[in-house]
Amino acid sequence: MTAADLSLSYEAAPTFSTPLRFFLTAPLFGALAGGVLLLVPDLLGSRWTPGALALTHLIAVGFMLNIMFGALFQILPVVAGAAIPNARVVAGIVHVGLATGAASLTWGLGAGSPPFLTAAVVLLGITFGVFLVAAGYGLRRTPIAQATPRDLRFALLGFGIAATLGMALAMILSGGLSLPLATVVKLHVGWAWLGGSGLLLAATSWVVVPMFQITPNYPARLTRYWALLTCAALVAWSAAVLAGFSLLEFILAIALAALSGAFAITTLRLQSRSRRSVPDNTTRAFQLAMSCMIAGLLCIVAAHRFDHDAWPVLAGILILHGGFVTAIVGMLYKIVPFLAWLHLSQAGMKAPNMKKLQPDGPVRKHLIAHAVALTVLLIAALSGSTLVVRAAGVLVMLEFGLLFANLLRVLGAYRIARNA
Amino acid sequence: MNDITTLMSHDHRSCDESFARAETAISRGKWDEGTAELEKFIAELETHFTAEESILFPRFESVTGMTEGPTKVMRGEHADMRDAVERMRDAVARRDKDDYAGEAETLLILMQQHNMKEENVLYPMCDAQLAGENLPPTLTKQLGREQAA
Repeated sequence: MTAADLSLSYEAAPTFSTPLRFFLTAPLFGALAGGVLLLVPDLLGSRWTPGALALTHLIAVGFMLNIMFGALFQILPVVAGAAIPNARVVAGIVHVGLATGAASLTWGLGAGSPPFLTAAVVLLGITFGVFLVAAGYGLRRTPIAQATPRDLRFALLGFGIAATLGMALAMILSGGLSLPLATVVKLHVGWAWLGGSGLLLAATSWVVVPMFQITPNYPARLTRYWALLTCAALVAWSAAVLAGFSLLEFILAIALAALSGAFAITTLRLQSRSRRSVPDNTTRAFQLAMSCMIAGLLCIVAAHRFDHDAWPVLAGILILHGGFVTAIVGMLYKIVPFLAWLHLSQAGMKAPNMKKLQPDGPVRKHLIAHAVALTVLLIAALSGSTLVVRAAGVLVMLEFGLLFANLLRVLGAYRIARNA
Repeated sequence: MNDITTLMSHDHRSCDESFARAETAISRGKWDEGTAELEKFIAELETHFTAEESILFPRFESVTGMTEGPTKVMRGEHADMRDAVERMRDAVARRDKDDYAGEAETLLILMQQHNMKEENVLYPMCDAQLAGENLPPTLTKQLGREQAA
């Protein structure tokens, strides 16, 4: 039998603790980001302050990558028929490597410490290496008949490129490598945002949006060509950046923004045609995420046109906190209670239904706290007021605290049902 | 394109829409309409399962010789979904809106992760292995619906 034949069975699915350890670690990094805002309120002045760099990586690596990697252990078998070999051991290495690497990286960036940056390069290098080799091994002989399994491969490749560029940057900053910093930063941001995270979000959305929100399918042309075009445009844009063709670079950046906008707008339009009468929390989260993505893209365009430090900061907040964090949280609220249900029922126990494992009320409360934190964060970036930045910091700590508490609640309900 | 993946995925979407109709009626407290819509959905789901269990899976198993592989997993998940549907029926009989919402949510995610496995892995395997069998017309007949465009 091939890997694909076995990977669909429950026996091939990872243990509950495999994804959960990532999911429970991620909110702690999010809360830490709130703490940084509270303690270093002048960091939003520009995207280049050490504090802003640390903050970005607490969210991007500490929060987003933790959940993305945790979720990939779970979904690769389901959507791509690819089981990661020795998932438990691999997850252990990746989890510890990512947590310590993210902590070293943010400290290294925030405090300008070369030894911590070097440690981050080693830790995150090992983490990405182990994860990508294991995922690549699992994917090596699985069919690529649909858009999602294919685009997941592109996303893994994108993450690999972004991570390599990130490691090069850390080495430049710690004095171990001599390369043009601004060029490498630009490439790193482009690949991390679109090549990795953007492709992963799109690949997941192709199946998640129509299936769980019961909308029409994404247009076949979009799912067939979007990832290919985005990758091709990213490669061309990278070449233009490296060659210093600034007009071509600008045109390709606009093309990339247009592709991202097309994805976000299509998703919103599909959601407006959902057959479900009452949008659930995940749908609401996706609507907010896509609207923030579109607003973030407009800020990027504005940043090209008007030379003001606020535009890139607003774009960063809208895309990372408003776009990716919101979409990720929305999916997490589907995945975690389902996994609790699945592991209980497969163990032959009577599993409470999804809404008993995770009631709607606390989830809604968290999403409201998240939206308020986002709004105050945007006001903080615009006003530059220390007081508002500190308030945003407290709200960000609160929202990730609520997320953590909601995840623990599911785990508590799972334990009660298991011991009943 | 009238391959197995397209045809069967199309039928999944059709079942989803019936599911949503029942959910809408019940969430609005229209119990009689909701009960009727739920029964329609269950009948559609059963027709789909039967098409797979009596036509598609046996052909796949006999051509590939794999009886302990993906089709066994899918049959097991069909049984889980049949159990979930019974709990939804029970909640409707008790006129318990909250319980129905929770059980329906459970079925929805169970059903969709199952569909993802079929649409991304099993159906493409069927298309590759059963290319010469011309199964889509037989499946369409069993499903009793218009063939997917």
